[in-house]
Amino acid sequence: MNKTVSINLGGYPFHINEDAFEYVHQYLESIRNHFSASDGCDEILYDIEVRMAELFQEHLKGRTIVSMKEVDEVVQVMGKPEDFGAEPLEQPSYQQNRDKSYKKGSIKTGKRLFRDPDDQKLAGVCSGISAYFGIDDPVWVRLIFVLFTFFGGFGVMTYLVLWFIVPEAVTSSDKLAMKGEPTTVENIAKKVEEEINELGDKISEWGKEFGSKKKRHR
Amino acid sequence: MSDVKLENTKAQMRKGILELCVLSIISKEASYPTDIINELKEAKLIVVEGTLYPLLNRLKDASLLEYNWRESKSGPPRKYYQITESGQDFLSSLKETWEDLNQAVNYSQSKIKQNEQNS
Repeated sequence: MNKTVSINLGGYPFHINEDAFEYVHQYLESIRNHFSASDGCDEILYDIEVRMAELFQEHLKGRTIVSMKEVDEVVQVMGKPEDFGAEPLEQPSYQQNRDKSYKKGSIKTGKRLFRDPDDQKLAGVCSGISAYFGIDDPVWVRLIFVLFTFFGGFGVMTYLVLWFIVPEAVTSSDKLAMKGEPTTVENIAKKVEEEINELGDKISEWGKEFGSKKKRHR
Repeated sequence: MSDVKLENTKAQMRKGILELCVLSIISKEASYPTDIINELKEAKLIVVEGTLYPLLNRLKDASLLEYNWRESKSGPPRKYYQITESGQDFLSSLKETWEDLNQAVNYSQSKIKQNEQNS
């Protein structure tokens, strides 16, 4: 049994399975993010909704409920927002978008770090990381972890910590957020820097705590 | 790596020509985006449909296109795009450029063929 949601997509009514609804919602949000700095954002989004509604009608062939299968097919026809990005419109809007988010003081990449249960050797940490950074083959990340284990032994510890703190991608919207948009080199560098800084702060905090405990023991 | 670059080049070539084709489709008659998509797909000019909507929006913002709403029998009112006067001018100068480019490509290709035959 599946719960369905009633939606109005570009003026057409649909019943849609809950998981498929999540997927469509994520998809449209990713398009909105992509064009958010352009004046025509709402208009582009509306036009795309109308077209998706038409495609759903074609693909349903008289059936009444939209499922994941139809959504997958339609998203494939429409393409991912990065693929529309061959348009020059994307460049300035992306830039402005980033400037805007700088002003707000937060960087929204629409992407989150998850463990990937679909491609795991142990707990999916490495495949989650490679999805996060847009690396095609998780084997490289795994290799780095293995190398770190041999040179200094940090690999195992880091892996265990990540296993503990990184959530598993359970729902399909988690998995979409995990794959997200391909991050630019700049973004990766920035993100890594942030995370290293954060981790550094935490470690020095732990260090202080540890140190103060030691002192107390003496 | 070389096939990645190839895809990139292909996309770049397609992108420039896409504008020309969209404008010339619309210049024939006021068109509904889905009809434009069907024509472009027949011509194998677009890979994913989503590409068209930002492009139409951009052409509209540049006042090369405008649209009006028409009632539809099977759903909500539809947007029909039509070309403006400045759009016509833009299109004819794009067409000229295309003709020049087309000649240039043909010329250089035939030169290469001639050289091959001579040697």
